[in-house]
Amino acid sequence: MIKFEKFSLKNGLTVIVHEDHSTPLVAMNILYKVGARDEDPSQTGFAHLFEHLMFGGSVNIPSYDEPLQLAGGENNAFTNNDITNYYLTIPSQNLETGFWLESDRMLSLAFTEKSLEVQRSVVVEEFKQRYLNQPYGDVWLKLRPLAYKVHPYRWATIGKELSHIENASLGDVKSFFKKWYAPNNAILSIAGNCTLERARELAVKWFEPIPAADVPARHLPQEPVQNEKRTEEVFEDVPHSHLYMVWHCCARHEHEFFATDLLSDILSRGKSSRLYQKLVKQRPVFTEVSAYMLGDLDKSLLYVEGKLVNGVSMEEAEKALLEELERVKSDIDDRELGKVRHKAESSLEFSEMGIANKALHLAYFEMLGDAGLCNLQSSSYNSVTKEDIMRVATDVLRDENCSILRYHAKS
Amino acid sequence: MLNRHTAPDIKTAADLNVQEPEIRQTRAGVPVYILRSGTQEVLKTELVFAAGNMAAPVPLLATATNDLLDEGTAKYSSAELAEALDYFGAYLESESGADWSSVTLFTLSKFSQKTLPFLMELVCAPAFPEQEIRTYRQQGKQRLAVNLTKVDFLARRKFIQALFGEAHPYGRIIKPEDYDQLSTEALKKYHQSGYLNGLRAVFIAGQASEESISAILKAIDESGLQSGSLPAAERIFPETSKQFSEKTDALQSAIRIGRRLFTRHHPDYFKFSVLNTILGGYFGSRLMSNIREDKGYTYGIGSGLVSQDQEGYFFISTEVGAEVREAAIHEIYLELKKLREELVSPQELRLVKNYLTGAFQRSIDGPFALADKHKMLCLNNLNTSYLKEYLAAIEQVSAAEIKDCANLYFQEGDLTEIVVGK
Repeated sequence: MIKFEKFSLKNGLTVIVHEDHSTPLVAMNILYKVGARDEDPSQTGFAHLFEHLMFGGSVNIPSYDEPLQLAGGENNAFTNNDITNYYLTIPSQNLETGFWLESDRMLSLAFTEKSLEVQRSVVVEEFKQRYLNQPYGDVWLKLRPLAYKVHPYRWATIGKELSHIENASLGDVKSFFKKWYAPNNAILSIAGNCTLERARELAVKWFEPIPAADVPARHLPQEPVQNEKRTEEVFEDVPHSHLYMVWHCCARHEHEFFATDLLSDILSRGKSSRLYQKLVKQRPVFTEVSAYMLGDLDKSLLYVEGKLVNGVSMEEAEKALLEELERVKSDIDDRELGKVRHKAESSLEFSEMGIANKALHLAYFEMLGDAGLCNLQSSSYNSVTKEDIMRVATDVLRDENCSILRYHAKS
Repeated sequence: MLNRHTAPDIKTAADLNVQEPEIRQTRAGVPVYILRSGTQEVLKTELVFAAGNMAAPVPLLATATNDLLDEGTAKYSSAELAEALDYFGAYLESESGADWSSVTLFTLSKFSQKTLPFLMELVCAPAFPEQEIRTYRQQGKQRLAVNLTKVDFLARRKFIQALFGEAHPYGRIIKPEDYDQLSTEALKKYHQSGYLNGLRAVFIAGQASEESISAILKAIDESGLQSGSLPAAERIFPETSKQFSEKTDALQSAIRIGRRLFTRHHPDYFKFSVLNTILGGYFGSRLMSNIREDKGYTYGIGSGLVSQDQEGYFFISTEVGAEVREAAIHEIYLELKKLREELVSPQELRLVKNYLTGAFQRSIDGPFALADKHKMLCLNNLNTSYLKEYLAAIEQVSAAEIKDCANLYFQEGDLTEIVVGK
């Protein structure tokens, strides 16, 4: 249970405050409602490249990091297909430094050629380090375009290809900022050793003078229903073969989210889960297996991955996996339901350790519709029945809804 | 009109309070640290054993013993244990390091007494069934095969090996054939000495009722777990070296540069911590500013000091584009040279001191972080006054002392350099 207060500034910025005076620190989280799904198909990877540029100095402050570190603060950020999120923690007596820095970069960036040039190279190295120079690192670069033909989820946050990043110009970057980085497209949350009054005073002082912008309405092409099974075979120089399968499923805000999430927990959460017990322990076709749903804001994916035991064929592994998936459509007992409910309750409780996580949760659920939703998650999971999970399994885990990537070891 | 050019005033925290643990003792004389705090209804119980690599006679044995604790016991099969803990939403984390091994149970506070018996069972009576060892072998060999294709993993293990030598437990690396040596008998033997007779300390953190704490203490007393400490080892180490291993298909090269260095107890430890932070210990560090933020050669670069029981080490680590490998290495040595020859500016020193103070506050925020801090103190035979000394020493260190420290410890001839890639 996270207690909070919420208010809006005249420019449309939503502010959420959670007071916790047991810590000497404050966490400040700013979520911008822009992600890789908002990119032009010919300029992918932009939202993430932009996240890097947000640290290259803003209109009135040449360096973001230096003053923050001088104030004892630390920060980071992440980008995914839906959002770009920035967060910092700072000793509470220096909280105003955080407001000063974050409001200035919401106002405008410095936009220097040097900063763009350097961050382009850094992101290219990140692309190599995480996606290209790792065995199986390119899986999502292949799975996304297999599962999505129309929706922008067909490319990964890092971008479709290196050239999109390499060709980014200062003009492109500026227009991306103008379009999306505005107070009325952001949510600010404050958690920790700060009163509501102080947060309000600082928010009004630093953020309210920033003008609102005309944030474009989002008209993303929706993915048509998939009508046939898709498969792709890849042969790479990797130590052993992997099998990847994804199915289209509901979006994060839909009611079915909770049943779908519990379905993935039944399949692979913990060592007692079905896929682990059946396919790693009892009939070992995989050395490791995992399943989860992505929980995207638009129609999302349920993902299953298995790492094949050496000597087991792709056909045998796939057949064994499909048999288990078939079984979950009609056979879940009360104990198993109780178990995944407990798991969900426990994950929620542990995921809210620390003020930074609380600040992120509040901002995230506010984006979904209302910060208060974060306190209703537990009861939503508890209202899911066995029948709900079996129905979702039957709806989702269909052949013609499935995309399969068979990643074969060459030798 | 709002002045956005001038930074708001900054204050350094006057006094940092560290919550003291309540310390009790088991019947065998093992300290039990209790930290009751936090907003979440959760509880963490960690048992630390003198059962890391240091006490093990051969590579992999310590890690495998730790990994296989929950794969079947006298009373329960591996599947039954997993089911019992999963049912209550609890989970285990086991960790095996150079010196220590630990087993941690994370549970909802309300289920702490339901899950506790399973924790005690797997710690005290693991069976290490042959069938489970077979699965573990297969998983481990496959994971190792994947890791051996990664330049970063290869560089890390070559570095450790070069620093400490394979004869010393700190320099051991795991090879595929080590998995073939694992047997029920060998694991049971190591469990007997390292776990049943090796309990070093217990840490309980989170929201804990007096009842649940008593239950934990009682369970430990009844288990008969005996106290244990680390053995000493011969300290014969290799000379420094420079090694390049080619991996022809690599897009990036992994670089590790560093040396053996002292432990936390050395008089220069605090000064060196500040020096290391300036060099590569935070986002604004010299290495990050130059090699990432100015040159764009890498996604990340950093340095660190690892303090182990007998001997620590210092490392610089990065992965850079294969085509800029030599340029990046050149810049790394240049940054070390600058620290040896030039005084750090008052502004930079102030910034790093403030950053470290803030980082310290973050490092004790929340019950689990706080427990980890007290664990570090306990395992190094220190108490909370050490933290006050640390903060005071950081505040006092001068630019001249930083330079002296760099001259003492950053001489190029003393550094080992490992590069894997192209």
